[in-house]
Amino acid sequence: MARLSLKGVKKRFKETEVLHGIDLEIGDREFVVFVGPSGCGKSTLLRLIAGLDPITEGSFRLNEKLMNTVPPSKRGISMVFQSYALYPHMDVYENMAFGIRLMGLDKPEIDKRIGEAAKMLQLEPLLKRKPRELSGGQRQRVAIARALVRKPQVFLLDEPLSNLDAALRSEVRLEIAKLHQDIGGTMIYVTHDQIEAMTLADKIVVMNEGRIEQVGTPHELYESPANTFVATFIGSPKMTLLEARTANGKLSIPNGGSVTGSAPDGAGETVTVGMRPDALDIAEGDAPEGFGADVVYTEYLGNDAYVYARLADGTLVSVRAAPKTYYPANARITVMPRAEALHYFDSASGARL
Amino acid sequence: MPRLRLTGRGLWITALIVPPLAVMVTFVAYPILSALAYAFYDWQGLQRGDFVGLANFHEVLFTEPFATWTRNAFVHNVIVFFSLMVIQNGFGFILAYALWRELPGAAFHRVAVFLPVVLSTVIIGFLWKLFFHPLFGPVNQIFRGLGLDFLAQPWLGQSSTALASLIFVNAWAWVGFPTLVFLAGMQRIPGEILDAARMETDSEWVVIKKIVWPLVAPSATVVFILLFIGSFNWFELPYIMVGLDGSPFGSTDVLGLYFYRTAFGNQSAGVQDFGRGSALAVITFLFIAIVAAFWTVRLRKREIQL
Repeated sequence: MARLSLKGVKKRFKETEVLHGIDLEIGDREFVVFVGPSGCGKSTLLRLIAGLDPITEGSFRLNEKLMNTVPPSKRGISMVFQSYALYPHMDVYENMAFGIRLMGLDKPEIDKRIGEAAKMLQLEPLLKRKPRELSGGQRQRVAIARALVRKPQVFLLDEPLSNLDAALRSEVRLEIAKLHQDIGGTMIYVTHDQIEAMTLADKIVVMNEGRIEQVGTPHELYESPANTFVATFIGSPKMTLLEARTANGKLSIPNGGSVTGSAPDGAGETVTVGMRPDALDIAEGDAPEGFGADVVYTEYLGNDAYVYARLADGTLVSVRAAPKTYYPANARITVMPRAEALHYFDSASGARL
Repeated sequence: MPRLRLTGRGLWITALIVPPLAVMVTFVAYPILSALAYAFYDWQGLQRGDFVGLANFHEVLFTEPFATWTRNAFVHNVIVFFSLMVIQNGFGFILAYALWRELPGAAFHRVAVFLPVVLSTVIIGFLWKLFFHPLFGPVNQIFRGLGLDFLAQPWLGQSSTALASLIFVNAWAWVGFPTLVFLAGMQRIPGEILDAARMETDSEWVVIKKIVWPLVAPSATVVFILLFIGSFNWFELPYIMVGLDGSPFGSTDVLGLYFYRTAFGNQSAGVQDFGRGSALAVITFLFIAIVAAFWTVRLRKREIQL
């Protein structure tokens, strides 16, 4: 059982406030991903949970127990670091044994735990190696194993894949997902990569500038983003935002065409329309319904193609199309959104309507 | 067969290398080699006598009273080395750790600790000789002022405390060097490794013992070797503070002083013997070179890549 509860958590470094009041509940066995651009405070929040940095204001409870002043080693929390942070002077076995020996476990129990972890992560042949004799992926697995043997209630992973090459990254991503299924602990995972977040998380916490923008399942974030920040951060290529005028049941941009559709209640004269690449169709030349656009370039991805085009108001729009699609630069097309797939945001605040 | 042709570039290189090489040969290589040669000759004052083989070495090592003097001086060097190893390097490590942890006033102390290293040994020796003055020296005045009269001793004037006092002054003056090296070593440890350790223990002592020290120790190699060389070449500080005789009663005599006395003479000895002096210098040099080389190789093996 591990439930985490953060209430009004603030963090200041000297004069600079980097977290402005975080409220967050994390349930037992959840896989939670903190995601956001660099500098959004996600790693800082993780360090507060770990206890590596003190909380300036607010409270952090683990299973109802106040953790603010509990030292990191006594929280029942393990952490996997971005650089793996293996002890360079100890071999793999010693790296794993260091912490649990300090916990006061006896030798048979230490060997048993290391044996289990080594088996699970295929480290058995490497136990006598020093970290510098391991590849990046192996180091990563040792770092995870070292966190595992402590049998913590909560796992923290700080950008664990960022030092791996692309091929290895998706492989280790799968391993981490499987690990979570097998051991069932609560995991908090920090990344700036929204694809990692989408593929791994039960629950995603989108952060920006020291605040939580939205908390939800990957599905919720993708289908109903709370604001324009979340809308553009989640999904790749990102959602196109368009300032459109609403009148007579039409959404229009000046000299750029219009589509039938009405903004939800609460929209003003203009509304921000969000269009994901897969919510758009393309017609060649000008069409009566849709926004006229000039192709900038076409991106061929094998199973898909993306057409990037510029609307009359200068907005760059990305459209997913069939793989065979190709338009030369400056070709004239019409982009036609499917009304049911559009998102509407308040033009002033960016909040979802 | 490549022919040696002096091109413009070659001329430049030659022009740049020859002068320093000439200086090195004249003032370094030649004296060393001649000292080596002198050790095998008999000497009458400044006049070279007959070739005597290893007789000078034998005298210095096995003939009384020279053998006792040699042993006495050597033992003092050993004491100096081990004491400085513990005091100078030990304090250096503690200071480095305190500076690294950014305790209050770290910025000021970072400079203060290193300041005496920059001072000339002559000045340090002279100052501390004044500080240790039995009657007027601030050391004893402070002890008396604190009511610790039993500590007001003639520190440099009695056999039981003279060497220890010299060692203290040396440690005071050069503690900044190991501090600097250790501090650099600590600053090289990646922050995440320390964070990882803190996730596993809240004992600062465990982190120092199991993480910080093993990672800093390799960078200490150079400190240890230099201290070893310095301890067995120890000369300036004892020369200034206790004189050529290693007073009182040879209780601070070290190989450096003994060599100088033997080769160049002094008020009390009067006799110069370049032969015995050179033999002593050669023995000291060989001892330092062999131990330092052996030790460097051994310590290098332990070095860790971060």
